Amino acid sequence: MTERVETELSGGRAPERKPSGKPPEPLDDEQEQVEEALERRRGKLAFVAHEIRNPLSTALWSAELLVRMPGAERSGPRGDKLAGMCLRSLARVRLLVEDHFLCERLEISGIPIRAEPIPIAEVVQAAIGRRPADAGPCSAEVASALSAWADLTLLGRSLDALLFFAGRGGAPVKVVAGKTGKYVSIRVDGAPPVDGALREPDRNTPSDTTGRGLALPTARRIVEALGGSLSAEPTGFLMTLPLDEAGEDVSPDTRRSPSGD
Amino acid sequence: MKNPLVLVVDDDPDILDAICDILQAEGYRVERARHGLEALERVTARRPDLILLDLMMPVMDGVAFAQALRDRKMYEGLPIVVISADGNPQRAAAVGAQVYLAKPFDIDALLGAVSRLVGEEALPN
Repeated sequence: MTERVETELSGGRAPERKPSGKPPEPLDDEQEQVEEALERRRGKLAFVAHEIRNPLSTALWSAELLVRMPGAERSGPRGDKLAGMCLRSLARVRLLVEDHFLCERLEISGIPIRAEPIPIAEVVQAAIGRRPADAGPCSAEVASALSAWADLTLLGRSLDALLFFAGRGGAPVKVVAGKTGKYVSIRVDGAPPVDGALREPDRNTPSDTTGRGLALPTARRIVEALGGSLSAEPTGFLMTLPLDEAGEDVSPDTRRSPSGD
Repeated sequence: MKNPLVLVVDDDPDILDAICDILQAEGYRVERARHGLEALERVTARRPDLILLDLMMPVMDGVAFAQALRDRKMYEGLPIVVISADGNPQRAAAVGAQVYLAKPFDIDALLGAVSRLVGEEALPN
């Protein structure tokens, strides 16, 4: 059973705050910055709570309805629908919780970054392979032997998010990776990102029902922790990562490897 | 009142499905809308006995919908239960809702509030 939270409302008026009696002291620059950071954090946490409560609700309700249902009905269409809803909702909660705590741990350096030379062609292909079967077409052009210093698991999580958002609505996705100075650049083109989506999760997907409401800010935070950068471009995203110069053997020809279409 | 009509307004399709399932199992008739504008169309087409209203929605949010509803005299007194994940009952009070249910609320809390507001102690299944 879930905790019962019900509030009877009367009069349609919000309670008024009592005046403190004296005007607030003006804030200096440092205080203002602290207050702005706190405000951003308040907004982020409120958003996280909001995002999690919807799928948590449907997970709890569907499970409870299944429990209340006569045994014979559980294997019927209604039981199947509720079981599917429960699993789908839990998957959403899982993604949100993982992203939230990953971000929080990265903020305080609370997670080990296992940087190693990563062959970009392989990691891009692996990410493309993880896309759902009903995703739109995706192709990749990655310079052969291009390698970056990164944590394989974290980089994969970032790429998954970028491929997902670039491919929204079935948009064709194209990944192009190459060398830019001492960095590897990975461009993921597709559906244009929502302005500010990499920093402000509530501007990302107002009606997100996939559990990826925190995925883009998390991807940005991961890439920054890896010593690179992630920016939104008019047609997608641009990620940079530290180049693995020791393993560099970048031939001028590129390998085209279409996939998923 | 027999088999009252409840309009459920939420942009999350699973929330809509789940709440409609809960209400229908108790004998209520249900209509659904994914945002405030769609809800206004539903209300105009067929007046519900009660509205379950989410606040954060695209196109037209719950606050704007409630305001538009209150601007029309014919819907005066139409009960609204806010179902929200924002954890802020004051916003519900601001839209003139009778009850605020914070997601994830208990199924029995929902049924209790709906039953009370439509004037039904129990409905035949």
